[in-house]
Amino acid sequence: MKALDLKLLRDLWRMRGQALAIALVLAAATATFVLSLGVHRSLTETRDAYYARNHFADIFAEMTRAPRNIVARVAAIPGVQRAEGVIQQYASLDMPGRNIPVRALVNSVDEHGHDRLNLVTLREGRMPRPGASREVVVDEAFAEANALGPGDEIDAIIYGSRLRLRIVGVGLAPNFIYSLAPGDIIPDNSRFGVFWMGEKALEAATDRKEAINALSLTLEKGASDADVIRKVDTLLAPYGGTGAYGREDHLSHAFLDNELMQLDAMTEVIPPVFLLVATFLVYIVLGRMIRTERTQIGLLKAFGYSDLAIASHYLKFALAIAVVAAVAGSLAGVWMGQAMTRLYAEYYRFPFLEYRNSPVVFLGAAMLSFGAAALGALAGMRAAARLSPAVAMSPPPPPVYRAGMVERFGTAAGFTAIGYMITRHIARWPWRSAITVLGVALSMGLLFATLQFLDSSRAMLDSYFFRAQRQDLTVTFTEPRNEDVLYELAQLPGVLRVEPARGVPVKLHFGNRMERTAIESATGDAQLSARIDGEGKAIALPVAGLMLSRQMADKLGVHAGDRVFVELLGGRQTKSVLPVAGIVDEFVGERVYAAQATLERITRDASPAGSALLRIDPAARDGLLARLKDMPQVLGVTERDAAMNKFEEMIDDNLYTMLFFYVGFASAIAVGVVYNSARILFSERANELATLRVLGYYRSEVGLVLLGELALLVAAAVPVGCILGYWLAQVMTAMFSSDLFRLPFAPTRATYGYSILVILASAALTALAVARRVLRLDMVRVLKARE
Amino acid sequence: MELAFRGSALGKVYRTGETEVHALRGVDLEIRTGELLVLLGPSGSGKSTLLNIIGGLDRPTSGELHYGGTDLVGLNDRELTRFRRANIGFIFQFYNLIPSLTAEENVRLVTDIADRPMEPGEALALVGLAERANHYPAQLSGGEQQRVAVARAIAKQPGVLLCDEPTGALDSKTGIRVLETLAKANRELGTTVAIITHNVGIAAMAQRVLHFLDGRIARTEINENPVDPQAISW
Repeated sequence: MKALDLKLLRDLWRMRGQALAIALVLAAATATFVLSLGVHRSLTETRDAYYARNHFADIFAEMTRAPRNIVARVAAIPGVQRAEGVIQQYASLDMPGRNIPVRALVNSVDEHGHDRLNLVTLREGRMPRPGASREVVVDEAFAEANALGPGDEIDAIIYGSRLRLRIVGVGLAPNFIYSLAPGDIIPDNSRFGVFWMGEKALEAATDRKEAINALSLTLEKGASDADVIRKVDTLLAPYGGTGAYGREDHLSHAFLDNELMQLDAMTEVIPPVFLLVATFLVYIVLGRMIRTERTQIGLLKAFGYSDLAIASHYLKFALAIAVVAAVAGSLAGVWMGQAMTRLYAEYYRFPFLEYRNSPVVFLGAAMLSFGAAALGALAGMRAAARLSPAVAMSPPPPPVYRAGMVERFGTAAGFTAIGYMITRHIARWPWRSAITVLGVALSMGLLFATLQFLDSSRAMLDSYFFRAQRQDLTVTFTEPRNEDVLYELAQLPGVLRVEPARGVPVKLHFGNRMERTAIESATGDAQLSARIDGEGKAIALPVAGLMLSRQMADKLGVHAGDRVFVELLGGRQTKSVLPVAGIVDEFVGERVYAAQATLERITRDASPAGSALLRIDPAARDGLLARLKDMPQVLGVTERDAAMNKFEEMIDDNLYTMLFFYVGFASAIAVGVVYNSARILFSERANELATLRVLGYYRSEVGLVLLGELALLVAAAVPVGCILGYWLAQVMTAMFSSDLFRLPFAPTRATYGYSILVILASAALTALAVARRVLRLDMVRVLKARE
Repeated sequence: MELAFRGSALGKVYRTGETEVHALRGVDLEIRTGELLVLLGPSGSGKSTLLNIIGGLDRPTSGELHYGGTDLVGLNDRELTRFRRANIGFIFQFYNLIPSLTAEENVRLVTDIADRPMEPGEALALVGLAERANHYPAQLSGGEQQRVAVARAIAKQPGVLLCDEPTGALDSKTGIRVLETLAKANRELGTTVAIITHNVGIAAMAQRVLHFLDGRIARTEINENPVDPQAISW
């Protein structure tokens, strides 16, 4: 090994603490990069393979009831590759020992295995046999959550009649990777399942002989989905079609897409922050190294080493750190990726979901790591290359200090000489001081922005579950009902208030944009539901016209006062033009509201209620749920508290994973920055500190010179960090918002406090660890040597 | 005359890895208050080790050492620091000024923590640098820097000034100016002064000269007629 490379290895070993601190930050960049790209890739590839293998459809449509032969007519539309019709029916399940409401969406399958779209992958057991009237396959998540398997039986109420179902298999399907009960925003696998039942059996159970109520189709390459959708809608209009839609509006697909988009956002924001800090750290550490090794550089050049050889020696130092970081970061990224993938697998059901990564991602991560290190080394390399040997071997000129701003106020403020030592040193190295401040501030900003997500989720939870939903139970009817069922519900013991909830499917057109949605309505005196804006205020329904959620308004590009074209789907297929009376800043979903009178003008009918909101006496809950279960008109019951708990559970799941990762990441930056600043400070001031000890300063007082400067810089970083965090959090909430959720920006004081605390604690512990070197300061040796 | 330091059988052994270095091998010494002492001897003869031990920067491996009534050997680090702070002024070959502080502020470093300091300006006036008070070390010559170091050492009015090669980095003219300030402190403030030097000529200004060899005081020389630093042959 060449002597110069030997020096490199020894230098790395001697400066291992500082090198490791830099590697830590670089590794965090690599890790987040590998993590988010890897998980993204795993999810996308798994999804695409699953879609392809199980023939996930391109277009979907639902209708009230259509003859089965409509499928052939849909299949004949130009551009359609294949079409299949199914029956989809919600069923209420009666599970022994459980009086909480449990529901299932029962899908028909061809008993002879002729289905080609949205194929079920069996995990266990078999598909229903031809002629079997009560065999079902249940989805895996539901089976797991309720400890069910082939051979078990479940009582179900399908279409008003009770049926004992026999589970013959457990399966999965690409159209239910993510499954939600209607009205829910979070999956609850113990209360909602997806079933598959033989076509003939389901036809018989739902009185739909040779009829279907849903169809899906695939497109030929190059076919226009908009054209096909228009033609499908025309065909289905007489059968109560509620509008065909593509994958982007398919619930399961949309949720998965949302997740992928958030991963993208994470890749775009977080690794760059780490890379920036790592570049800065390499810059200051190498800068100091070259200043202390001036004489050696001069000597080497005098021996005949070229400028290039010297510069590349220091580049190698930086790259060696990057190698360690790339390897450690990749390993950490894979490990975290696996943990995150396991978390995803709980919410997204794939036949297999493994964290997989490609060499390209690792290569990319390594390149980023090398790039950041090399960029940071550039200034130092240039300085080392430019030193002429004669100049380098003479001692460096003494640092020049100047009295600055501090002196004008300092004396009056009772500054001691020690105070001046601190402030003048900061002013003497403005870049390095600024980098320390910025580095610590960035770590705090990152922590703040991440923690803010929890606030954001809680704010959404609060708005959606506490302010907007005031009912205890939502009772969904098998089909829209008129007033008498409401009276019947009101008579049940324990029911304190009943309000109808109405919703009619429509297409809204504005300009050349179109959105499929439902117009929701409540009675004028409604107490159990409200629309809550960004400030938490309840917004009344407009007397006339529509009220749109911000998401929907943005999608259509409408403003208050614009007039939209409303096309009623199903029923009378009316068309009307209505003004947008207002826009409400809601967080969940793209929604449209109207007063009851407006809704009736659209439907030209006293529109029936699809569900009812109930306020109940908690003491009567169990009895009431039992009664509701037996009502034939009732399809299902959603408990607000259960949904809310589920949501909180999800936040908590994420909370611990996130806290674990990001407190670690943010601390890594703070530790890396403070450690390097402290070590440089210590090496520059060892002489001065020893002098102070000789003069009779106690160790604690001497430590203060070191810690005082760091404390000032870290203190300066706190407000900067708050501002950076505020900005970063806003960028990130905006990036993470999607069609499904709009994340509110709602940082709490605790988040500010916690971010500041974690960063101060990391900085303090690191600085103290370095300050312990004061204890080992050899006064005599330092004083005998000229720096 | 009163005794400042009384040491007996002082020994110091440094261990570096396998080897042991006996820096002091049983030194007995008495330093009287108000005395001006010069320590002469070749490199490695134990002068600096002794000076560091009596100044509380280091501890003897064996022997006893008292300053007035205080047993220095038994003090812990904090008490030794306290002892230095109250009683000792150090001057080294390489000035060791804080580059970010002006001459006056360097002196204030000491007056900030001393019990009965003089004004920083007064100390600088004593070494003839009143006009340079607001200059940073980088703006002063070597001799001036060393005089600032002397001012910093005497500003707390210490009982003892310990100087390790104070003129080692200076030419004769500036060296003599520094020695004059030391003599002045000894004469006017009654400070006990001990000076380590390689320069035999400096011994002429001492009342007593200790000759060191191999970790021992080989010979003590009493000088009945100490000369003024001006008269030293460099």
